[in-house]
Amino acid sequence: MSKVIDVELRGIIKKFQNNVVVQDFNLQVEQGEFIAFLGPSGCGKTTTLNMIAGFLDPDGGDLLIKGQRMNGVPPYKRELGMVFQTYSLFPHMTVAENIAYGLKLRKVGKQEMQERVKRVLELVKLPNVADRYPKQLSGGQRQRIAIARALVIEPSLLLLDEPLSNLDAKLREELRDELKRLHQEIGVTTIFVTHDQEEALALSDRIVVLNHGFVEQIGTPLEIYNQPASEFVHTFIGKTNRMEGEVIAIDADGIKVRTTGGLLIQAAKQAREFSLQQKVIVFVRPEKIKLSDTGVHTGANQVEGHLQLASFLGSYTECEVVAGKHTLSVKVQMSDKSAEREAGTTVYCNWDAEDVLIMPAERG
Amino acid sequence: MKKINVLGLITFFVLILVNLPFLVIVPSSFTAAGYLAFPPEGFSLQWYSMILERPEFIESLWTSLKLAAITAILATFLGTLAAFALSKYKFRGSGVINALMLSPLTVPSLIIGISALLFFTRIGIAGTFTGLLLAHILISIPYVVRLVLTGLSTFDYTLEKAGYMLGAHPLRVFWDITLPLLRPAIVSGMIFSFLTSFDNVTVSLFLVAPDTTTLPLAIFTYMQETLDPLVASISAVVILLSLVFIVLLEKVYGLERLFGLNSQSH
Amino acid sequence: MNKRLSITLLTAPAMIVLLGVFILPMLLMLMLSFQDDNQAFTLKNYALFIQDSFYLEILWRTIRVSLWTVLATLLLGFPVAMYMAQASGKMRGIVTMFILAPHLISVVIRNFGWVVVLGEKGWINETLMKLGLIEQPLRLLYNELGVVIGLTDSFIAYMVLALATSMYAIDPSLSKAASILGASRARTFFTVTLPLTLPGIIAGTTLVFSLSMSAFVTPALMGGTSVKVMPVIAYEQIMATLNWPLGAALAFLLLGSTILLVTLYTKLIETKRYKEVFAS
Repeated sequence: MSKVIDVELRGIIKKFQNNVVVQDFNLQVEQGEFIAFLGPSGCGKTTTLNMIAGFLDPDGGDLLIKGQRMNGVPPYKRELGMVFQTYSLFPHMTVAENIAYGLKLRKVGKQEMQERVKRVLELVKLPNVADRYPKQLSGGQRQRIAIARALVIEPSLLLLDEPLSNLDAKLREELRDELKRLHQEIGVTTIFVTHDQEEALALSDRIVVLNHGFVEQIGTPLEIYNQPASEFVHTFIGKTNRMEGEVIAIDADGIKVRTTGGLLIQAAKQAREFSLQQKVIVFVRPEKIKLSDTGVHTGANQVEGHLQLASFLGSYTECEVVAGKHTLSVKVQMSDKSAEREAGTTVYCNWDAEDVLIMPAERG
Repeated sequence: MKKINVLGLITFFVLILVNLPFLVIVPSSFTAAGYLAFPPEGFSLQWYSMILERPEFIESLWTSLKLAAITAILATFLGTLAAFALSKYKFRGSGVINALMLSPLTVPSLIIGISALLFFTRIGIAGTFTGLLLAHILISIPYVVRLVLTGLSTFDYTLEKAGYMLGAHPLRVFWDITLPLLRPAIVSGMIFSFLTSFDNVTVSLFLVAPDTTTLPLAIFTYMQETLDPLVASISAVVILLSLVFIVLLEKVYGLERLFGLNSQSH
Repeated sequence: MNKRLSITLLTAPAMIVLLGVFILPMLLMLMLSFQDDNQAFTLKNYALFIQDSFYLEILWRTIRVSLWTVLATLLLGFPVAMYMAQASGKMRGIVTMFILAPHLISVVIRNFGWVVVLGEKGWINETLMKLGLIEQPLRLLYNELGVVIGLTDSFIAYMVLALATSMYAIDPSLSKAASILGASRARTFFTVTLPLTLPGIIAGTTLVFSLSMSAFVTPALMGGTSVKVMPVIAYEQIMATLNWPLGAALAFLLLGSTILLVTLYTKLIETKRYKEVFAS
C-alpha cells in the first residue's frame, strides 16, 4: 500500500520585494510524520510555515494539504492547529474558554465541548487549571495549554512555530519530551520550526535543513548527522573541528589527507568521490576524539599536542588541544579520568577513520 | 526618624496650589451671603436653587452634555478606525496620515476656532450645532488616535493569528479578540473626548450662536460681567460632573498611563 | 487591492473631518489674511504689525508673560518631578492623580477659583488685612502677575509630565556611581541629574511657552482689560471689530513668532554634543 501524503510542497517560491526568501521548496510529509524545519534565523523556515498556515501566499509552486490545493485559501478555512512561540493565549479568556474557542466556532454542543476540553487538559497533564486566566500560569503551563487549544479541534496538521524558545533550558527539555509523548500518543502529522538542532534531532522523523531560502538537505536525524549534504549542514548541526588540506592518497581502505597545518589524516571511504591533490576540508567532531597520555594508537589517527584549555561543563569537559598549527576542540566525557588533566600537559588525540568527514573545498 | 523631605514638601505645596481653585469654589458655593467670599459666610443652598432660575445655564448644560456625548461617540469611532489602519498596515503615506491625525493638537485652539468660523461662514454652518460638533470632533480625534495607537502598539498580533488558525473569520477575530483587548484604550479615548469637548472654550467661542452656547462658555461670558456666588454653584456642579468622568478614566485606564507616564512595563 | 481598500475605508472618515474642518479652513484663513476690503491681495495686515508699535508691544507682553510662566512652571515643576522619580509606585500614582486631574476640569472654572483667591476682596487680601499686615488690598489680579499665576496653574502639569518622563529614564544607579566617585549631592545633581533631564526641560519649556503664547481664556479672565495679549487682540478683531483679515493675520503672526522663538531656542540648546548623547 502506498503511504498517505498529508502535506505536499511543490516548487514553493516566496519573494519579499526582490529578495527570494524561499527557493524551490519540495517536500512530501507523510501522515503521522514529525518533520522539523531547521535553520538559522532568516533561512526561510518560518516563512514556509506561514505559507502552510495560510498567512502568506507562495509566489510560485503549489501547496497541497490532504491532496487539496491550498494556495489562496485563508488560514481560518484550513483546519490546522498551530502553536506559537509566544504562547498567544487569549488573555481575556480562561484556560477553558481558550481551549473551547475553536470548538465554539465549530458549533460543538455544550456537553461535548466540556468533555473534550476536559480530555485535552488531561492529555497535557493540567487537569486543574480550567478556570484560571493565562496570566496565572507559568510559561511551561501556558505552552501546554496552547498545545491543548491547537489539538482539541483535531487538526489535520499541527504546526509548531519555535514553541520551546521562550522557555528556560530545563523546562524546554521537559516540554520537548512532552511533545514527543503527545506525538506518539495522538500521531498527528506535525511540522516543527526550530533553530535548535538538538530539538530537531530529538523529536523529528525527518529534518529539513534550510539556509538562505534553500533546502540544504532533507533526511532522518541520523542521515543529517552522519552524512551531511553540505558543510553548512555539518557545521550547523553541532560543533566540529575544521581543517583544510589536500588529498594525497586514495586506496581501497579510504583517503589520506595532508592538512595545511601539516597533519596526516586517514579517513574511511566517503560517499563522495575525490581525486588526488584535490583541495578538501576535513571535519572531525569533538566528541569523536579521545585523549590519551601515551602514544599507543587507539584509532587510525593520532596527533600529539598540548592541552591549552579545559572547561569543566558538568557531564563533560571541553578541551582545546594545540597540535601543530591546528587547535582541536575535544569533548571528554566525565567518566574519562583525563578530564582532570592540567593545562600544558602533552596529550594525544585519537580518532577512527570512520569519524572523519571530507568535503570538497569549493562547492559545485 | 528621617530628615524632612524637602522635595515632598514642595510637591505637597504644588499639589495644594493646583487644586486650590476647587478647594475654594465648592465651599464658596454654599455661602448665605449675597456676594462672593472665601471663607463663605453662613451656609445656604440658595445659590444652587438660583441655577434653576437661570434657564441659560440649564440649557447650555444640556447643550454641553449632548455635544460632548455625540463628540465622544463619533470621534472615538473615526479615530479608532484610523488608528487601526495606521497600526496594522504599513503603507506609503502612513507617516503623513499619522502626522495629520495628530496635527490639530499642535495648532493653537485659537487658530482652529478662527479658521473654522471663517470656513463655516462660507458654507453656512457657522453658529449651528453641526458646526460646533464638527470642530469638537476635530480636536478630539488626535487623543483617540494616540490612545488607540498606544493600545495597539502593545497588542500582540499573533493573538489574531491564533484566532484565524482556530477557524475564526477576520470579523469574528476582531469582535472576539482584538476589540475586547483594546477596550480600555478605546473607552478611555471616549471619556477623554467627552472631557475635551465638555471643557472647551477657545474653539467654541467662535462657533456658538446665542442659543447654542455651551456651559463653560456661558460661565465665561457671565464671569466677565458679574462675579457672584452663582458662578461658584454652577462651577461646583461642573466639577462634580467632571470628577465622575475623571474617576471613571482612572478606573478604566489609569491617569498615569493616559498621560504616557507609565513607567512599568506591561 | 484588498489592503488599499481597507486602508482607504478606515482612514477616510477621519481624513474627511481633518481636511474639511482643519486643513481647508486653515488655507482659507491664510488666504484671507492677505486680502484687503476689496478682496485684493495685500500685505498691509502684516505690515501693520511692524508699523504700529501697539501690536509689537502686545506681542512683547505676550512673550514676557509666557516666559514668566515657563520660569514659574519649571521652578515649581522640577522638584515635583524629582519627587515623583524617587517616590514609591503608590506615592507616584497619588501625585500624578492630583497633578493631572485638575487638568481635566475646565480652565474657566479653575480661573474662577483663582479670582476668588486673589481678588480685591479675595481670600488672600482679606486674610492679610485682618492680620493687619496690609492696609490696602494688594493688586494680585487683572495684571500680568494674575495672568502668570493663572497660566502657571494651567500648564504646570505639562511641565511635570515632560520632566518626569525624562527623569524616569535616568538609571538610578548613575547617582550612586557619582557618589561612590566622591561627588556631593549637589554636585551629583548639577553634573548628572540636571544634564540628563535636559530633553525633558526642553520639551517642557517649549510646550509651556507655546501654550502660554496662544492662551486666550486665562488672560481674558485674569488679566481683564488691562493685560491684553495677542490672542485677545485677535479675538477682538474677529468677533468685535469684525476685521477678519487683520484678526487672521494677527493669529498667524502669533503662531509664526512662537515657532520662530521655539526654533531659535532649541537650536541654541541642542548642540552637537547634546544630539550625540540623546540621539534616539
